Amino acid sequence: MAEAIRPVESSRPGERGLILWLTQKNRAYYLVGYLLLLALALWTLFPVYWQSATSLRADVDLFSPTVTLVPRVLTGEHYEKILGPSYPFLRQLRNSAVVAVATTVVSTLLGAMAGYALTRLRFAGRTVLARLLVYAYLAPGTILFIPLFVMMSRLGLRDNLVGLTLAYLTFTVPFATWMLMGYFRTVPIELEEAALIDGASRWQVLWRIMVPLSGPALVVAAVFAFTLSWNEFLYALVLLQKQQVMTAPVGLAAYVVGDQYYWGQMMAAATIMSLPPLVIYLFGQRWVIAGWTAGAVKD
Amino acid sequence: MALLRTAERTAVSAAPRTSRLGRDFWLGYALTLPAFVVVVGLVAYPLGYAFWLSLQDIKVGGQGQFIGLGNYARLLLDSESRIYGLFWNSVKVTALYTAGALAGKFIIGMISAIILHSQIRARHFWRTLLFIPWAIPAVVSAFTWKWIYNDVNGVLNTLLTNLGLVERPILFLADPKLALWSVLIAAIWQGSPFWTMTFLAGLQAIPRELYEAAAIDGANPLQQYFRITLPLLTPVITVTVMLSAIWTSNAIQYVYILTNGGPANVTETFPLLAYHEGMTAYDLGIASAIPLVFFPIFAILIYFLTRRMLRQEG
Repeated sequence: MAEAIRPVESSRPGERGLILWLTQKNRAYYLVGYLLLLALALWTLFPVYWQSATSLRADVDLFSPTVTLVPRVLTGEHYEKILGPSYPFLRQLRNSAVVAVATTVVSTLLGAMAGYALTRLRFAGRTVLARLLVYAYLAPGTILFIPLFVMMSRLGLRDNLVGLTLAYLTFTVPFATWMLMGYFRTVPIELEEAALIDGASRWQVLWRIMVPLSGPALVVAAVFAFTLSWNEFLYALVLLQKQQVMTAPVGLAAYVVGDQYYWGQMMAAATIMSLPPLVIYLFGQRWVIAGWTAGAVKD
Repeated sequence: MALLRTAERTAVSAAPRTSRLGRDFWLGYALTLPAFVVVVGLVAYPLGYAFWLSLQDIKVGGQGQFIGLGNYARLLLDSESRIYGLFWNSVKVTALYTAGALAGKFIIGMISAIILHSQIRARHFWRTLLFIPWAIPAVVSAFTWKWIYNDVNGVLNTLLTNLGLVERPILFLADPKLALWSVLIAAIWQGSPFWTMTFLAGLQAIPRELYEAAAIDGANPLQQYFRITLPLLTPVITVTVMLSAIWTSNAIQYVYILTNGGPANVTETFPLLAYHEGMTAYDLGIASAIPLVFFPIFAILIYFLTRRMLRQEG
């Protein structure tokens, strides 16, 4: 089906008349394909549009009984409010950034080290370790959150960004290692041999040859570590109870006061916190898709 | 030092490729140690600790008392206990939720992948567009859907009322008959790009010649799909289903934010039940036991996935 709905340039509807065009072989599939695509695009974009449109509307407009798909008046009041000093939002964004950056740096570093050793060095237990990493990556967080909660409480790391970063390493380190192992394997071994013969140490080979050659893979590992930590919810919900240390995803729920939802403010906060992963995705698509196919994504 | 290296060079020159690069096992251990500490200290140990907690009667901040398999007995067998009904309800809800989400993501993912793989105009643009839900934080989209579904000023209800299709707002999230469906739609919205991506990669790996040969033999597009595409895509589908089954059944954001398990527990999947028992009822023993009951299923899935992933890596 995919192959069959290929258009022929010269037979677009405008040129020959729709009926004739449709009667041609497989044209119907082509038309259905475009209609479905349009429906999928609407379905995909509507919630995103609605989120940003809500964030720019005045409250009167939000709570009016008639639906206006396009805002009548645009206002920045919700953004002004949540970014103001009386709201914890900026602080929570900062917390999110601190945790995501720390997780990214640590997991990419540990991933590069372990990935190198597991692909290039021979030592007993290598295959067992590789297997353990995959197990760890796939282990669901729902089994770990209670014990991690108790452990972090005992260590005094609850309501603490270090504790949360440690929890995030449980999925980012295995992923980064796995991802980099796959890449390191494709790097020609001769370069390292040459360097070793010239008297470089293993350590130097790793940092002077392997890492510079693996730029794209390191970016993929970093992008995913960052996005997964930035978006994470369950561990943050369990480990952070004080508003001052909350990350943005958990803080979002705080716009609910009793039964009263401040939708404008909430959607403004939601729009701001969607931006980093969205921008990374739009500009780094090549890397995102590379990581995706490496099994990086939690859907 | 230099002597040693020369010796190593001559010694390994005849050996297979990977072993040519020496046997620095000390460095091997040193480089893998940090990652190993993370895996053991933050994954393996907590897993064992969860099992140990599940054998105790233990509340948050209290002392634990060893009760053997008491928590499991309460969950699985003791029809008198409060948690028994909740647990079996969560089994049913999780199964429905996972099956529904997988089916929806499969259908949308497959249709999107087939369209994106065909010769449409601006293919790159459409691909970028259809993957957007993946880039939005799950918490954000959960709240957005909650607002869309809202019974007072939600756009869906306002639209339906203005069009004269309904007289009273539909309680998408508060009606026990509708709540699970509403949550599913939001979860499918977010989760299908991952399926589209893996299916698209799978489609691109199928040789074009097969379709050309089939077309010459007079196979129509539907026949081509069922005779060529689907059979060749089966390995990709299997892996995607297994991965998504683990992640979907364990995802807590949608049920937590959209309904918090209600109304009347119709959307309380097992992770949410574990969360409620542990974080609001403060019963750590039961909260640890609940996910562990499901652990064998995940262990089997993880075992097969790992085998496949390691084989792929060669």
